[in-house]
Amino acid sequence: MDKIIELKNITKSFDGEVVLDNISLDIYDNEFITLLGPSGCGKTTTLRLIGGFETPDSGDVLFMGERINDVPPHKRNVNTVFQRYALFPHLNVYENVAFPLRERKTPRDEIDQRVSEMLSMVALKGFEHRAVTSLSGGQQQRVAIARALVGKPRVLLLDEPLAALDLKLRKDMQQELKNIQKATGITFVFVTHDQEEALSMSDTIVVMSEGRIQQIGSSQDVYNEPKNAFVADFIGESNIVDGVMLRDRCVSFSGHTFQCVDGGFEPNEPVDVVVRPEDVDIVAEDKGMLRGVVTSVTFMGVHYEVIVDIGGFKWMIQTTDFVDVDEHIGLYIEPDAIHIMKKSEYSGLYGDYASFSNEFDELAEAESEGEQ
Amino acid sequence: MKKASKVFTALMFLFLFAPLVILLVFSFNEARSLSVFSGFSLKWYKELFRDTETLKAVRNTLILAVCAAGVSTVMGTAAAVGIHRMRSKYLRSALDMVTNIPMINPDIITGISMMLMFVFASRLLGLANSLSFITLLIAHITFCLPYVILQVLPRLRQMDKALPEAAMDLGCTPWGAFWKVELPEIMPAIVTGMIMAFTLSLDDFVISYFTTGTGFQTLPIRIYNMTKKTVTPDMYALATIIFFVILALLLLSNLTDSEDSQKLRAARKAKRAASGRPPMDPKKRRILYGCGGSLALAALAAAVVFAVTETDNKPQVLNVYNWGEYISDGSEGSMDVIKEFAAWYEQEYGRPVQVNYETFASNEDMYAKLSKNAISYDVIIPSDYMIARMIDEDMLLPLDFDNIPNYQYIDDDFHGLYYDPEDRYSVPYAYGIVGVIYNANVVDEADTGSWDLMWNEKYAGQVLQFNNSRDAFGTAMYRAGIDVNTTDRSRWDQALESLMEQRRSGVVRSYVMDEVYNMMESGEGAIAAYYAGDYFTMLDAQADNVDLRFYYPERTNFYIDAMCIPTCCQNKEVAEIFINYMLSQEPAIANAEYTYYASPNRLVYENEDYIDEMGPEAMDILYPDWGDFSEKYNTYAYRNLDSDLLGYINSLWETLKIN
Repeated sequence: MDKIIELKNITKSFDGEVVLDNISLDIYDNEFITLLGPSGCGKTTTLRLIGGFETPDSGDVLFMGERINDVPPHKRNVNTVFQRYALFPHLNVYENVAFPLRERKTPRDEIDQRVSEMLSMVALKGFEHRAVTSLSGGQQQRVAIARALVGKPRVLLLDEPLAALDLKLRKDMQQELKNIQKATGITFVFVTHDQEEALSMSDTIVVMSEGRIQQIGSSQDVYNEPKNAFVADFIGESNIVDGVMLRDRCVSFSGHTFQCVDGGFEPNEPVDVVVRPEDVDIVAEDKGMLRGVVTSVTFMGVHYEVIVDIGGFKWMIQTTDFVDVDEHIGLYIEPDAIHIMKKSEYSGLYGDYASFSNEFDELAEAESEGEQ
Repeated sequence: MKKASKVFTALMFLFLFAPLVILLVFSFNEARSLSVFSGFSLKWYKELFRDTETLKAVRNTLILAVCAAGVSTVMGTAAAVGIHRMRSKYLRSALDMVTNIPMINPDIITGISMMLMFVFASRLLGLANSLSFITLLIAHITFCLPYVILQVLPRLRQMDKALPEAAMDLGCTPWGAFWKVELPEIMPAIVTGMIMAFTLSLDDFVISYFTTGTGFQTLPIRIYNMTKKTVTPDMYALATIIFFVILALLLLSNLTDSEDSQKLRAARKAKRAASGRPPMDPKKRRILYGCGGSLALAALAAAVVFAVTETDNKPQVLNVYNWGEYISDGSEGSMDVIKEFAAWYEQEYGRPVQVNYETFASNEDMYAKLSKNAISYDVIIPSDYMIARMIDEDMLLPLDFDNIPNYQYIDDDFHGLYYDPEDRYSVPYAYGIVGVIYNANVVDEADTGSWDLMWNEKYAGQVLQFNNSRDAFGTAMYRAGIDVNTTDRSRWDQALESLMEQRRSGVVRSYVMDEVYNMMESGEGAIAAYYAGDYFTMLDAQADNVDLRFYYPERTNFYIDAMCIPTCCQNKEVAEIFINYMLSQEPAIANAEYTYYASPNRLVYENEDYIDEMGPEAMDILYPDWGDFSEKYNTYAYRNLDSDLLGYINSLWETLKIN
């Protein structure tokens, strides 16, 4: 595959605050790539650098091998779907979609044909003469997408385009966006802080935190093989505990030695051990590799979320078996459910569910959305 | 409570709109009077459209308002966009505050400071005329700007910041993004700002008064200057028209802004869509808008060019500065002297002359304007004591009487008067004598004849006394035989005592200036001292149950207004031709008939037609047999007093008014 956009050693700061710290990223033609991270991680700034709304302090932006640091937005073959759509209120649906074509002095017949093509693609045929302010959020979203795609850009940038939609609509639009990307073959660069959205849509996920790229990989890669505690925690739920790699394929944590599938560490090297909550089996206390006491049980629909205290460290376990609070249980973990990570600056910050509650999580999420 | 608030609301509306209703009603009044409605008539509207000076002032005001609104809208919008885009928060809020200052600044301060700046700047640049249409325009733009910014800036802040970015993203240049996306978004605010600027400019008086130059009088200034006599009813007509035009503008702008019209537009669009017609091609629309815009621009440019050429000093320009309502102006079938002069001049000398005729409301106003050296006039018509002062201060040029042969028709009585003892600087234009006007239906004939009538306790609550110190003290001093120009303060104290007595005894109904017309005409007051000429104005408009008469007391005030050429004159030759023309028979008679003031010109008062026109009673009153006129004049006319004494007199006057 061809690289279509390359970011090389880019640093960017606003008012002395470093927003992007020496990041490098290759974006390939025809892929659906997602920049994922909490608010303030630099993902939107990265998008704006590609769109041409910001210029890097140092480093280069390349488009098909050509440096475009100083090329203004209107000369880039890249279009953007803005977070709040940024439709032009004084123009109707038709004129909004036709806008980029008129800018290029496209002949009238072609404009007519392409606008109607685009509107039927986003299922808005018959809305041509409606005022954009009279449309619902989802419809406005579609107009924004149609407007951004009608000019056939090589790359489409999407800045949290689904954030303002309700859950049901968001799920539908995720599917639709994916379909549109496949149908058009245009490279999509998608920015979100919603890890589920990222996992379900992306070919490649770029996990960012504090202006740095933490990991680049496929959905499965970043989920199953997180590089560090930040990635493991941000993507899905993770129990992250301190361990010691005794030798290849043998790790010790929580007072027990486990078989695992990872290797390549120094003997007795301290490591972070990740165990996904759904990979832990509950067994009778005497049959368990680890033993603990249930401190809380929450019914989530598909499964129960169980918090277990094991020697003072709280684990989260997702199970379909019912257990009671204060019950003593044993835990069984398969070797391939154990993922070993090198120690990083994020070690010890995540992965303990001592302070966990659903409410707390929701609060934190709402806050980070508010910041957007 | 509810009832009270309803009553309160009703009262509020009454106070807000009663003046407008009265204005409206009296603009259709047949008679001149404000006290009697004698029948419906469009007379004053007709008069208005015949009054070329007023129409010119209206045109000037409109040109100014259009230019000021146009320029300040463009500049204000640009400034708002600039402020909006500033990155520094502190700089932005500082600029916000600074732009607001001119708005809260009192007009008078803005006016004076701008005038000073223009005069100073023109000194630096070595320009002769520092004030002109351009300075007026700059001043108007200055005070309109903040209002435009205040409208546009909030609208910009409300706008989604991503809109211009989206436009650029879709292929617009930054400039294109501004035109195609930002501008349409803030357009409603721009239009509102423009309408505001327009109306502000339209009705500004204070700032215009200080910053306008020769040849460009706006309507508010013209109306203000008419106050020497009463405001004529054609002004009611004008005010009524202006009110309705503004009302229409307001309704229009509300209509285009309201939701109703948006719905209307949406419906229209839907209909068009349903009928299968495509929406108007934006290209076509752009052409349409472009045409409209360039038309508006062209009109603006034309207006500017028009205005500039109007004030530009062409080879033959004559700037005349006179009292308001003090020249025959073509109304009610009279001769339009200024227009006739221009025609006559062109015929006589084979080249056109452009006369800029402007008016002032008092000698002091005129003096202030001239002494700033900010503007130049070629002919001015001040009163006697002001002429003396201006000669004293070298502000007048000696006249070349070889160029004013008609001076020979000036009565010998008017030679060698105190203000210009050698007859070098002035040519008398008109003169007036103060007499007592009374309502014969109230006042006993036997009580008339002297100043005592104004002190007669029989007529308690019927006497109207002057509401200015010099004239009021005058009545008491003439009555007591005191020299009205005395520097002996005890004599002034004595006059005050007399006025106090007059007040205490309750004969004085009120102290009045221009209100005297309406109060006398309606019979509200029965006795007042005023000028003979004004008596005839009242006579014309007196109510049915009123019978106004007039007499001169034994000693009374005289004044003379005379034509002079100030040192700032740019065209003395034409100025002298103009003065000579004003002395010739036809215009001199027209002016005397129009103003009702006595003329010192033999061609007038010896003319049979004039005598017939005025009638024997008027001739007796206007031209009484005074014996030795110059001696009486020199004895009784007011002279310039030194400022210490004037201050003292004013303090006495205040004592009277307070007690």
